[in-house]
Amino acid sequence: MAEVTIRQLRKSFGSVEVIRGVDIDIPDGEFVVLVGPSGCGKSTLLRMIAGLEDVTGGTIRIGERVVNNLPPAERDIAMVFQNYALYPHKTVAANLAFSLKVRKTDRAVVKERVEQAAETLGLTPYLHRYPRQLSGGQRQRVAMGRAIVRDPQVFLFDEPLSNLDAKLRIQMRTEIKELYQRLGTTTVFVTHDQIEAMTMADKIVVMQDGLVEQVGTPLDLFDHPRNVFVATFIGSPAMNLIHGTVRRDDALHVEANGHTLPLRPDVEAPDGQSVVYGIRPEHLDLTEDDEGFPARVSVVEPTGSETLVFLRFGETEVVALFRDRYAFKPGETVRLRPRTDQTHLFDSATSIRL
Amino acid sequence: MTAETAQIFKDAAPDLKFRAKWYTRRLLIYGTLLFWTVICLFPIYWTATTSFKIAPDVMQGHIIPWLDFDPAWRGWRSLGLSPQTIFETSTVREEFLKRFTNSVITSLSASALAVVLGSMAAYGLSRFTYRLKFIKNRDISFFFLSQLILPPVVLALPFLVLYKELALLDSHIGLILLYTLMVLPIVIWIMRDQFSAIPVELEEAALVDGLSVWKAFLQIVLPIALPGMIAAFILSLVLCWNEYFFAALLTSTDAKTIPVMVASQTGSQGINWWSMAALSFAAILPLVIIGIVLERFIIKGMAAGAVK
Repeated sequence: MAEVTIRQLRKSFGSVEVIRGVDIDIPDGEFVVLVGPSGCGKSTLLRMIAGLEDVTGGTIRIGERVVNNLPPAERDIAMVFQNYALYPHKTVAANLAFSLKVRKTDRAVVKERVEQAAETLGLTPYLHRYPRQLSGGQRQRVAMGRAIVRDPQVFLFDEPLSNLDAKLRIQMRTEIKELYQRLGTTTVFVTHDQIEAMTMADKIVVMQDGLVEQVGTPLDLFDHPRNVFVATFIGSPAMNLIHGTVRRDDALHVEANGHTLPLRPDVEAPDGQSVVYGIRPEHLDLTEDDEGFPARVSVVEPTGSETLVFLRFGETEVVALFRDRYAFKPGETVRLRPRTDQTHLFDSATSIRL
Repeated sequence: MTAETAQIFKDAAPDLKFRAKWYTRRLLIYGTLLFWTVICLFPIYWTATTSFKIAPDVMQGHIIPWLDFDPAWRGWRSLGLSPQTIFETSTVREEFLKRFTNSVITSLSASALAVVLGSMAAYGLSRFTYRLKFIKNRDISFFFLSQLILPPVVLALPFLVLYKELALLDSHIGLILLYTLMVLPIVIWIMRDQFSAIPVELEEAALVDGLSVWKAFLQIVLPIALPGMIAAFILSLVLCWNEYFFAALLTSTDAKTIPVMVASQTGSQGINWWSMAALSFAAILPLVIIGIVLERFIIKGMAAGAVK
């Protein structure tokens, strides 16, 4: 096991710069998820750690070694590909054993490791099958087995769950986390699914346009998003954003659409600054008095355990999530009160948190 | 018991109509296939039987042995390959064997060379992006294939002059090089498709697993592309084996191949159909055997199951 240190990393394809100076520290034994919309450079970053893409600038360090110019084989990493990339002409057992055989590992050790991995992944009955005779989930497990037999310094996962159906994906999510907890190997996991990121990661790296937007624990990102992008990207349904102006008359608040929105008192913003006011759907409460703001119901989505309500506050679309069941009618006007200590405020010009 | 199992439901008129249609369709499909099989196999049958005929049988178009004509070893005897002559010395047989060996050497070497070179070229074209000013991968591929557009006749004289200067006339090497050149475009096109069908991630996985680029190619890509390579090899072999034009033009005594010998079975009293047929049949046979043996290796969908 080893830590991975990335410093001022850059990558260009021709004149297009896809990674634009990235710094990430991945401590030994941590599960780090790179998350971001497609095209943000997260997969490229992972492939650079693997050695499948050249480094244009900056350094990648695995343990003590700078690996910039080392071929993948010498980096002691294992990678699980999005499309699994199993060797179609080899059986499951041969697929699992391949990397060990390449390294001329003792036969008895190979056998033992393969059996162990197969046992862990529930592949023992399929060892003599070929990849084409397996289901998607089983192939995915073989791909992981190929990574774990080697006991590498770092595991790299490139969107390994995106080809599975929803139910299996949720199951595998838990299983991968359990596997990681057992092995404790440093892991870098790429996904575009923020829920996957939230549920699995020790630390999340949110990326956009080749830059790191924020690094932090899942709850840290959720509670203290550094900018509007992270605020809307993390959390589902996404955070409500309301444009308004800071007012510091009798009490600190934000004025939007002619109504008063409460604010945390510790916010540092001058009177009259134009801001983006953020509040998560689950942090809106129904109220009868004239606190909060009025909103007109447009759509109600009851899910059984929760009620998801889409409303209009002036011209702004607002979503509210209630734990209780409500039978709102479309067109009805209700009053919503944001929980003061759960509010977020961003500069409307720079999108940075205030 | 019989009463209970007796048929209750019967095909009604529409069912019968459907059944009739179904059978008619089957009949038509299999009838057509059978007809086509006969058409395809007839020339081989004709060649085989002709090698056992004597002049009048050939002229009168007798077709069915023992019924139409009495099979004789005439054609095979002229080659020294009939039961009576097989153990005697025969100059014709020696020549036949020499030509046969020439054909084997040239076509096997040319095909092998073409498959090796062509696979490497195709791998490059499918995996790397080349750019020579305005020329890109697609242009290079087309450039290879465009070599087939030129009629061989146009090349006859240049090659004759070139080979004369290079002292390659009537040599195995000369013919092998020419045949390699001739089948290379086809091999490149077949192999390019083969390699394109193999996901790049397989090689990347191999690199991560600890292989070098060359070993990844040899251990992962090559085995998966093998069926395509065999198909390309068979095709090359057939084309080289049957090539007549350049063989007739560029060889005389040493490197002459079977097709040239077949064509030269014309005596002063006309064409010796029986010996030409025997010779042709002997020339076809190896290809048929190779085709049957190698065909089983051409399994479709070898790459299935690699991804997703």
